[in-house]
Amino acid sequence: MEAERARRGRRRWSRYPSRTFYLFVSPWVLGFALLTALPLGYALLVSFTNFNGRNSRWRWVGMRNYTELVRDADVIASLVRTLAYTAITVPLMVAGGLGLAVLLNRRLKAVGLFRTIFFLPSVVPVVAMAIMWKLIFNRDAGILNAILEKVSVGPIAWLVDPNAFYALIILTLWGLGGGMVIMLAALQSVPVELEEAAVVDGASRWHVFRHVTVPMISPVIFFQVVTGVIASFQIIIQPLLLAESNQVGSVALVPQSTHLYMVQVYEEFFNNNRYGFGSAMLWVFFLVILAITLVVQRSSRLWVHYQVDSEAER
Amino acid sequence: MLDRDISRRRFLTGSALAAGGALGVPLLGACDASSDGDSSGDGKTVTLTVMYKNNELTKEHIADFEAKHPGIKISFIEFDETRLNAMLASNEPPDFVRAPAVGSAANNAQGLTTALDPYLDKSTVLTKDNLMAVNESFRWDGKVTGQGPYYGITKDWSQDATLWYNRALFEQAKIPPLSTTEPISYDELLEIAKKLTKKSGGKTQVYGLGVEWAWGMSAPIFMMILQQGGQVYNADLTETDMTTPEAKRAIQWYVDFGQAGVGPTTLDPAPDGADLSLFLAKRMAITQDGYWYGGNFVKESEEIKNSVAMAPAPVMGDKRISPTYVGWGAMIPAKARHKDEAWKLMEYFMAGPPSEERAKSGWGLPGLKSQLSLLPQELPYQKQAYQTTQAELQYAGQLPDSPYMTGGGWLPVLDKHITRAIKKEITVDAACKAITDEINKLLKQGKDQIR
Repeated sequence: MEAERARRGRRRWSRYPSRTFYLFVSPWVLGFALLTALPLGYALLVSFTNFNGRNSRWRWVGMRNYTELVRDADVIASLVRTLAYTAITVPLMVAGGLGLAVLLNRRLKAVGLFRTIFFLPSVVPVVAMAIMWKLIFNRDAGILNAILEKVSVGPIAWLVDPNAFYALIILTLWGLGGGMVIMLAALQSVPVELEEAAVVDGASRWHVFRHVTVPMISPVIFFQVVTGVIASFQIIIQPLLLAESNQVGSVALVPQSTHLYMVQVYEEFFNNNRYGFGSAMLWVFFLVILAITLVVQRSSRLWVHYQVDSEAER
Repeated sequence: MLDRDISRRRFLTGSALAAGGALGVPLLGACDASSDGDSSGDGKTVTLTVMYKNNELTKEHIADFEAKHPGIKISFIEFDETRLNAMLASNEPPDFVRAPAVGSAANNAQGLTTALDPYLDKSTVLTKDNLMAVNESFRWDGKVTGQGPYYGITKDWSQDATLWYNRALFEQAKIPPLSTTEPISYDELLEIAKKLTKKSGGKTQVYGLGVEWAWGMSAPIFMMILQQGGQVYNADLTETDMTTPEAKRAIQWYVDFGQAGVGPTTLDPAPDGADLSLFLAKRMAITQDGYWYGGNFVKESEEIKNSVAMAPAPVMGDKRISPTYVGWGAMIPAKARHKDEAWKLMEYFMAGPPSEERAKSGWGLPGLKSQLSLLPQELPYQKQAYQTTQAELQYAGQLPDSPYMTGGGWLPVLDKHITRAIKKEITVDAACKAITDEINKLLKQGKDQIR
């Protein structure tokens, strides 16, 4: 039995000629080693020191950075805010992307134009998008308040607490066209005959969508959830750019409601010069993201349906 | 046959080798770069690594310097704090670096900078008796600033608490303009700002006063405390107490300012984070900025040029102090390879043609006494600002500078708690206590980092 398993494993690996294989994987291996493994290892090392980023006379402090960060009220508050931000934006992004994809997966006039219009915001550089929204949200001269004024609402100070949090969510949702395109591709891969068979069996349009379409595209939804969670956790540029500041990367005046975890990390590194503490924060965050991703992955057994190609399996 | 079958073990071994090779490449590259750097010091041509801002030390300056010093070539790096940190930490710093006077204590206490006294003692171009008082902030004796050797030279500076105002907006509000010779009190200033502020339908048409909120509050608060005779730090600069009556009064003023809604704050941010655009658009009557601010108006309309005026720094007590908040200049890192050549650039940049150009432009006061007379006086507002500045100079003073943290560390803490007090979520007393606790924690951590 063991010998059979070993032989099967060897057979799978031996399908690939070695030189070609090395050639194709080497960019990824090099990239992983240089841009992921090395920084991760370095950050782990630094997290056990009091390194201030400037002076080479650092020393080991053991677990002190880790014990401090779990007791640090600002760190915990920023983590809670990040969880809230993720819990709100990921479902909205996924549902919004799916909703738009369903709308645009029809035979409509100028459907290509609409698809382009919805997709365009997601290809606008994040800096340009954030600055544009900063102008839109401006209390005195912003177009949003000008519109709201017409219906006797406001003016609203969008970029200060607590509204800054909602402004950040709106800005995030502006980019849901990217998810829409992926969902659209998934919808178009659903075999029409399955849906037609369900209709013939008397299923309503909602039932077809709920019990045929959604299960068929559930691997794509799962992909969107996982990547969405990771991206939401790591958000930093948008809160920095929406904040009052005339200095690129200045973190000092980011409103409390958008002072998310990565903003706190940035502050520890570059405002307080606590590279050791900041590195410990990053490692804890890495583990938190890993744990949540694993939970999402485990939950996928309950709701993600993979089509199994029995021929290929054999 | 060239292609061979691959086993899982061989793949893993190969991957490990590839990863190892990947790690080794940059290390070898680093060794190579390092040997390149050494080879430049072959006695013929020295390559000086300079980290500065390219609009301050320009290509023209570099070409002129290289022409005057044929044995020196400049390798220019745009100023980048993060890159500088990495270079300092790896003991491969630039030879000449942009650095602030106020805030230099941290670098000096960590032994990252070169004492310039031996060079100053020998120089005929840069001499101690010609240095403006602002350069005192570059001095460090191991315990406090203002004493001991000089660790940098100031390029240009300003007394940053002075006021610039638009006379036309005062006339519209039927308020007499600020005195250009006598300082106003902070309380009076706030009252005038309230009268100058125009609001309508929840929007602010004209702000009475801008305090450059986004640029930092620590320096002005320190100044307010000193003006009342108080202290910011204890004797060894390891602790602060923002619950003293002097500190409370200063923080209370900022809370009153925020609650009055007379100028941009975190709760009512300026669109671009600075006062200038509002001031030029005649949507701000007074802005608290140094002499350098006058450089902005030279190319503006006649209307602006004829309306602006400069007033002395306001006071919050009996002691008149009008310090610089920063004072940008340059330092030579302790581990710099070409210190003698870097000093030649220091002489050129701080006392040569670039310094004269700077003084004549009016974008700040010169770091040398001998260049004060070069400040522009052609336009009426320039002449008035020159006269106000001449009188203000005697009150220059010096802000305290702890080596254990910078103004950048103070700002988020001050902003967080002052903003909460403005929103009445906490009292001013509670804000002062919270600021004291958080800053002392940061000071303790800062001390631990350089112990």
